[in-house]
Amino acid sequence: MFSRLFVGLVCAVGIAGSGGVASGKDKIKIGLAGPFSGFAASFGEQLWQGGQLAVKHINAKGGINGHKIELIKADDACEPKQAVAVANKLTVKDKVAAVVGHFCSSSTMPASTVYAENNVLMITPASTNPKVTTRGLQTVFRTCGRDDQQGVVAANFITQRLKAKRIAIVHDKDTYGQGFADEVRINLRKAKLKEVLYEGLTRGEKDFSALVTKIKSVKADTVFFGGVHSEAGPLVRQMRQQGLKAHFVSGDGIVSDEMVVTAGGSKFVKGVYMTFARDPREQPAGKKIVAEYRKMGFEPEGYTLYTYAAVQAVAAAMAATLGKNSRPNGMKMAKWLKSNKVNTVMGSRTWDKNGDLTTIDYVVYKWTFESKNKKYRELRRNEL
Amino acid sequence: MSRPLLRETLLTFFVALVIFLPITGFILKGYDYQLAWLRPLLLAIIVACGRLVLLLCRRRSAAMGGWLAGAKSRLAAPLQLLTAQQRHLSYALPAVLLLMPLMVNEYWLTVLISVFIYILLGMGLNIVVGLAGLLDLGFVAFYAVGAYSYALGAQYLGLGFWTALPFAMGLAACCGVLLGFPVLRMHGDYLAIVTLGFGEIIRLVLNNWLEFTGGPNGVQAPAPTFLGLEFAPTATQGGRPLHEFLGVDYAIAYRYTFIYLLSLLVVCGTVFFFNRLKKMPLGRSWEALREDEIACRSLGLNHVTIKLSAFSMGAMIAGMAGVFFAAWQGFINPTSFTFFESALILCIVVLGGGGSTGGVIAAAVVITLLPEILREFSDFRLILFGGLMVVMMIWKPRGFVVAKRQQFEQAE
Amino acid sequence: MLGSIYGLIAVGYTMVYGIIGMVNFAHGDIYMISAYVTAIVLAVCFAFGFNAVFLPLLIALLLAVVITALYGWVIERVAYRPLRGSGRLAPMISAIGMSLVLQNYVQISQGARSQGVPTLIDGNLTFGRGEDVIQISHTQCLIIVVAIIGMAALTLIIAKTSLGRACRATQQDMTMASILGVNVDRTIAWVFVIGAAMAAMAGVLVSLNYGTFDFYIGFVAGIKAFTAAVLGGIGSLPGAMLGGIVLGLCEALFSGLINTDYKDVFAFSILVLVLIFKPSGLLGKPEIEKV
Repeated sequence: MFSRLFVGLVCAVGIAGSGGVASGKDKIKIGLAGPFSGFAASFGEQLWQGGQLAVKHINAKGGINGHKIELIKADDACEPKQAVAVANKLTVKDKVAAVVGHFCSSSTMPASTVYAENNVLMITPASTNPKVTTRGLQTVFRTCGRDDQQGVVAANFITQRLKAKRIAIVHDKDTYGQGFADEVRINLRKAKLKEVLYEGLTRGEKDFSALVTKIKSVKADTVFFGGVHSEAGPLVRQMRQQGLKAHFVSGDGIVSDEMVVTAGGSKFVKGVYMTFARDPREQPAGKKIVAEYRKMGFEPEGYTLYTYAAVQAVAAAMAATLGKNSRPNGMKMAKWLKSNKVNTVMGSRTWDKNGDLTTIDYVVYKWTFESKNKKYRELRRNEL
Repeated sequence: MSRPLLRETLLTFFVALVIFLPITGFILKGYDYQLAWLRPLLLAIIVACGRLVLLLCRRRSAAMGGWLAGAKSRLAAPLQLLTAQQRHLSYALPAVLLLMPLMVNEYWLTVLISVFIYILLGMGLNIVVGLAGLLDLGFVAFYAVGAYSYALGAQYLGLGFWTALPFAMGLAACCGVLLGFPVLRMHGDYLAIVTLGFGEIIRLVLNNWLEFTGGPNGVQAPAPTFLGLEFAPTATQGGRPLHEFLGVDYAIAYRYTFIYLLSLLVVCGTVFFFNRLKKMPLGRSWEALREDEIACRSLGLNHVTIKLSAFSMGAMIAGMAGVFFAAWQGFINPTSFTFFESALILCIVVLGGGGSTGGVIAAAVVITLLPEILREFSDFRLILFGGLMVVMMIWKPRGFVVAKRQQFEQAE
Repeated sequence: MLGSIYGLIAVGYTMVYGIIGMVNFAHGDIYMISAYVTAIVLAVCFAFGFNAVFLPLLIALLLAVVITALYGWVIERVAYRPLRGSGRLAPMISAIGMSLVLQNYVQISQGARSQGVPTLIDGNLTFGRGEDVIQISHTQCLIIVVAIIGMAALTLIIAKTSLGRACRATQQDMTMASILGVNVDRTIAWVFVIGAAMAAMAGVLVSLNYGTFDFYIGFVAGIKAFTAAVLGGIGSLPGAMLGGIVLGLCEALFSGLINTDYKDVFAFSILVLVLIFKPSGLLGKPEIEKV
């Protein structure tokens, strides 16, 4: 542990000394920022696994134009303040060439300003709030979808498939959670369905009995929750315990095994719906890599492969724009990414002028607990 | 080894084992667990050894006492030398600090900025706790008010850095008075709890008032400006970016240097102000109030104005620190203003030996630099920090530097 | 329901404050440790194949109470006893430091993610019929029953045993009690042990009810419980319980009728208002200022 730290320190000093110039066969540093502690730590684990294997594979093939990649882990605990601190540290102290991250939209947005100021390319594998890319920052990209796309799918599912009449919308006041809930609300209203309750809850709380009582008193038949598993779990559990049988719909924030732990058992989670992009694990492009993960004993669920793809995109852009003895340039890489195609583990991907993916397809999943490895699956047509 | 000693050590070992066993010995993995036998055993052995050493020391305390006294006198000689040189030092230090931006990289510059911010906060709380003896556990509320009034002022009213600074200080001082009024007749622990409640209320309101403050997602604060020059890559506030003015490439270091120099100036000013204040009648009456409120009031001092002035002065300095914090970070949200931060500031004051300026500065430097130096042990940072607080209190309940009261002598 | 949890934790605050006049900031974290011990004991029990409900639960309750009480004792011994008689600020800082140590100790050894306990007791008691039913889960009934038993036992201890007499004597006048042959140090240690044991019960019950917890729960619960203790009149045992229940009810009513977002603001406002207008609380004795 300490020897590794020491090596890292020496490398850091070495590269800082050369001013980040990738001359000779120096390593290229890429920051991987995400929540490695705190309530979203399980998502951080997905990011880390995804990034690590991608770097390993790229380095095994000789790296980028002969330069090996070094991944620098930076923990933001899904907390905007720490995200800014981490962004400053990565750009100022470590002088990274690009950043893959962050996870939570509320962290990604303030951090992306720092990266853009320092001309560092940032690709988030998981932040779905539309505003991440629509604020005119040129060097910000993502390998995931947007909540306005996700919101349409969720709203259509609620009105057309669940045929909900009385819907309660709950969010966690976070950029991601509330943003997603608002998108769903807009789309529901377009379908002439006005919610019967719209409330925020506080992150980190465990007691939602008052909220559940409220949901009960408005006689909601469907509850939509915009947020992550650490609150979704206790909420759905307390709903079921108070005898509320309404459908529970949420989004990509609960795509983690920890949903079951926070809810206190699979029986509460069974039947919960969630929207998420079509599972990249089932894409032909990533078959081999998924198999490799499973051999390592890690199930590449959630955002693992998105992170893998983000690292691939960074590597591709860098390989194309990095000349001899020039330093990685965020703007140049961004321009390249916006006009070229990258073959990723999730299939081939292109980006539009905002840095959003040009194609993303959200679908609805259901927690079914069919087998040990398959806790949720995509809903079939006309199935509930 | 004598018998009671052995017994004591063994007892400590077993108690420690029982205590550490469940939490460190079994790591929860979902509903399952993983065994880690070695950790509690090691911890218990360490604790038992520590206890043994402590007991042995205590037994030889007489000898130890002599050695300590010797060490003290040996240390005292260079210290005295230091005080003799202090005058030279006090001229050299600002010069060194002024030249700092040329010597260190941006990273250490940011660390130094945070040191200055904590010095400011420590000084502010020092007025309230150290001088006036009013225990305030919600001091961070004023810090938050300062930071948010800059960020929100820029967002809604278009205030720049220089207009926001007096505005934030005034607003924070008002909050200080607002808090001061109801708690006038309280003291001691009750006061501590009310201020704690106040601090939490401010944080919760900032966290929940989504439409106005952005809730947990925070707000962006603009970069500071100086005479129409902006420290940002592109002009956003109607000025001209500095690097265009100078005709050089943009670097974030310019902004840090500017904030660094400005906060250095402000800290020096505050230290000067504070030292003057202590000698003034107002400062004296704060200290008198701390020592004995009833005696003070019977001597005709108005405790209302004295207490309120202490609260508002402290709050004002904290508000100023808040503006610097927001300008430096460029982004704020309520998690920067938790109870932990209040405890940290209080820790600075207490370690600094309430009431003394030098002590507070030393404590602020130690408390901010320590975590940076301990980066490598980042996981253990807070645990070391908490442990240090406990040990410090046991070892030196009155802090590093015990404040000496200035003697007034008839000058002839 | 939540009120009785607050009440159980508040007892520890109120007893400690009553005797040595310090606010034990580390008390909330003791409750957090108890939740972790519960989860660990249950995990071990299930791993060894105890699949019945009540036996593991009983073991968990007992072990959590014993181990957590030990924590209370050690903390008092390490962090507070050496500071007796050195003002009021020093023990408070020491307590804040201890609270930091406990939180981070658990975070380092157990990881930062939230942990869970499987649902053991299921089902509801249902009152009323038709649309307007009130449902109380069995876990909630258990909470109320255990809280009542705990409080009754505590009241008995304080009222009848010699330890209780010593506690009351120390509370009234520490010096006098020690002159009259009460071992003050031991009494104070016992107070910490009892307080920790009550908090442990709260920890077990909470982890069962919500099924999920993290290392940070101690802080919020601690502040709330302290509010309850102040509300009921700090230093008074029935006051602590009453304060807890009143606070729990207020919070539930406020969030149900007005707004869930500001329920904590409401709770702290109550605290501030009570302290301003009636510092002695609902059942406390007014403090007389001596010159």
